[in-house]
Amino acid sequence: MTTSTILERTSDVPAQVFEKFLQALRDAGGSAELVARLRKTLLEDKKFTERALREAVLPEEPLP
Amino acid sequence: MIRVESITMHEFRGIRDLTLDFKEKSFAICGPNGTGKSGVVDALEFALTGNVSRLSGEGRGDVSLKQHGPHVDRRNDPDKARVTVRVTIPSLSKTVDIERSLKNPATAQVVPADPAVLEVLRQVEAHPEIVLSRRELIRYVLATPGKRAEEVQALLHLDQVEQVRVGLQKIANACERQLVPLGTAVTLARENLLRALGISELVKEKVLATANAQRMSLSLPALMDLTETTSLKDGMATPGPAQPQRIPKAQTLADIRATREDLAEIGSDDTMKRVVEVSADLNVLIGDPAVAASVKREAFFTTGMELVEARACPFCDIPWDLGELKKHIQAKIDHLKEVSRKRRAAETKIAPLITTLRKVQAAINTVVGYAALATPPLALKAAHEYGVQCGSAIERLNALLPLAETIKVLANVPIIPQTILDDIRELEQVVAALPEPTKQDAAREWLVVAQERLEIWRDAMRKHKVAKDQALRTRQISDIYAAASDKVLAGIYADVEKDFASLYGFINRDDEDKFKAQLIPSLGKLGFDVDFYGRGFFPPGAYHSEGHQDGMGLCLYLALMKHLQGGNFIFSVLDDVLMSVDAGHRREVCALLKKEFPNTQFIMTTHDPIWLRHMRTEGIIGGRSAVHFRNWSVDLGPTRWDARDVWTEIADDLKDSDVRAAASLLRHYLEYESAELCHRLRAPVEFRGDAQYQLGELLPPAITRMRELYSRAKKAGNSWNQREIIEQLSAREHEFAKLAEASNAEQWQVNVAVHYNFWDNLGKEDFAPVVKAFHDLLGGFTCTDCGEYLRVSPEREVAESIRCECGKTMINLRKKSE
Repeated sequence: MTTSTILERTSDVPAQVFEKFLQALRDAGGSAELVARLRKTLLEDKKFTERALREAVLPEEPLP
Repeated sequence: MIRVESITMHEFRGIRDLTLDFKEKSFAICGPNGTGKSGVVDALEFALTGNVSRLSGEGRGDVSLKQHGPHVDRRNDPDKARVTVRVTIPSLSKTVDIERSLKNPATAQVVPADPAVLEVLRQVEAHPEIVLSRRELIRYVLATPGKRAEEVQALLHLDQVEQVRVGLQKIANACERQLVPLGTAVTLARENLLRALGISELVKEKVLATANAQRMSLSLPALMDLTETTSLKDGMATPGPAQPQRIPKAQTLADIRATREDLAEIGSDDTMKRVVEVSADLNVLIGDPAVAASVKREAFFTTGMELVEARACPFCDIPWDLGELKKHIQAKIDHLKEVSRKRRAAETKIAPLITTLRKVQAAINTVVGYAALATPPLALKAAHEYGVQCGSAIERLNALLPLAETIKVLANVPIIPQTILDDIRELEQVVAALPEPTKQDAAREWLVVAQERLEIWRDAMRKHKVAKDQALRTRQISDIYAAASDKVLAGIYADVEKDFASLYGFINRDDEDKFKAQLIPSLGKLGFDVDFYGRGFFPPGAYHSEGHQDGMGLCLYLALMKHLQGGNFIFSVLDDVLMSVDAGHRREVCALLKKEFPNTQFIMTTHDPIWLRHMRTEGIIGGRSAVHFRNWSVDLGPTRWDARDVWTEIADDLKDSDVRAAASLLRHYLEYESAELCHRLRAPVEFRGDAQYQLGELLPPAITRMRELYSRAKKAGNSWNQREIIEQLSAREHEFAKLAEASNAEQWQVNVAVHYNFWDNLGKEDFAPVVKAFHDLLGGFTCTDCGEYLRVSPEREVAESIRCECGKTMINLRKKSE
């Protein structure tokens, strides 16, 4: 058995939640760019700070 | 993920030097309170995760792993405090040694350290929930819904889910907060525009009608539409640089009237009342210096929490315990929540004051601007300074801190200096004295001012729209996330709820076999209600006993672990988790663990020897898979009721001619072993309600019972006509009788007090044969192959056989006719 198999068998609840969220966001009309940025932040980079989320949600868009 | 073969502890907590061989099997550590059981649990957790939850986190005060983890005599030498565990990783078919010292808890020496092994160990390290203590267990059951959600989420490793939820919510809140000042700016710009246009409603037809009336005076074509880019003064000649800008008389007088109204509002009784109220609230906050200091630090802690991501300090590169540090910071942030709530309440009350100040500031700036156009220009110094003062007051009230300065500024808000009113009156007189402009000039002035204010309004509207879009978008994202996470968690909780009810129903199947439970998640909370004998659903602490609550905690933990780790749930440490559960239900817990978690290696601690027996008889642990700590001392750490240790210790005492110590140890050991023998052989013992049995009340019944069993076995053999077996049994019986006689133990039945007290008076040479006699006697109760004590099977009902743990000894007790 390889390591990846071991990891797959461990229930990764956060990953399940993030996948479900991104799907719901897409279904609600969220732009592909927004979904891609959030996917990178949450699932690839695994960054969960407010700062990282703000960069994903409001990229280069400072508040007025 | 892993199973633990063995653990070796040096100078760790209360342990000096101890090795326990688990052999990858479930194992029990039994002993009275304070004998070092939890030290083993701490050592296991430390070796596997680099942390000891008992020494970190909320409510631990000044206790820390590095300072208080080493044995007290090694407190200044943390490198000597070391734990080594040998684990196997079934999925990789590898045996791995992990060693950690308290000098550097975050770094483990792993051999072999190949990537696959390290990845599995990283997973283990990320799951400290493999260790469950009673304190943690009860938190799942009796916590408030919000706290329970946090605990369960921590167990399920959902802190990341929660962190994202909070983060998205904060972003949405921040965006919504931006809307307030921008909304105020739109309102002010609109009011100014309406005043300039001389209309009461900002509707396209009315704006066009009034603008076109002015344009007609200048023979400009009428505007047909009003779009985002339409200029009301479109086509009007731009005044040349030589032409001085004039005061628009009518507009200036209207603006002066509006300024007076705004000043009247800020000096009103309503404003004064609000200022008094807010000042009182802030004085409450400022009255507690610690609270005021905490308010200052909130932003620092919050930023710090976001930045603490690496495993070492970014300044000095010294490794830190990330989990411990985050818990520490989080505790401080939690402490600030109440302060934040009070601060938000004060900010809400201050908001209308800020709006009024903005209106006054804008109005003052407008009239000061007009004054500069007068000939000669009017300085309106007091008004100008008041406008600046309003700006500073707005900044101060927005910042809120320091509170003392804010309170000081608040006190001045309703005070309107007379000099300002004098300035305004002076300007009004100058403007009133101006000659009336021609119709064309008036129209030109009107269009210039109206266009200027239209652009300000458009700009304010645009900024407000951008902010509104951001607020809507971020709120939508936050809501979608909350709904998605609630949905996933609800599914998980439904599974866990089902498993929990099934597990709890099993251990209470005598009276709660139809037990049901409800886990109700909502917005970061987790309600937990349980069925009470069909009378409805109530919180666990409402009607169920403490023992039942302990059982619920364990079952909820097992259900969560089953979901979290599935087939990887093969190792768990249960630290005295069933303290309040009665003996009958503990037996059921043993049966449950064996039935539902046959592949999980449980390391269990208990102070109750009866539960230890249940573990053995239910087959959770094997005969040798337990250690019984008999006492603990700061110099030696735990000492165990281990046959080899005891006999060696007695021999050492005799070598030192310390008969008193040897006799005392022999007495206590025989008491402990006799209780075990009576239990295994089902020997009838005179019952004592306090369960405080003396040696003379236990050992003789065990001997009598052993003889009676041999006698029954011979009769059974006779009924089956098994001559050879009868001969073997006779030989064993004879041998055992000799051993019993040599020990003279049976005589104690006559007088329980005399004989062993008498030992203290014996000389070294007199006592050595006594020791040998009892050593040999205990040997007579064991299997000659495995050395374990024999036991009667089954544990209840009609006795059928005498067996041992290895299965080599099997003596039939049932006659042919039975």
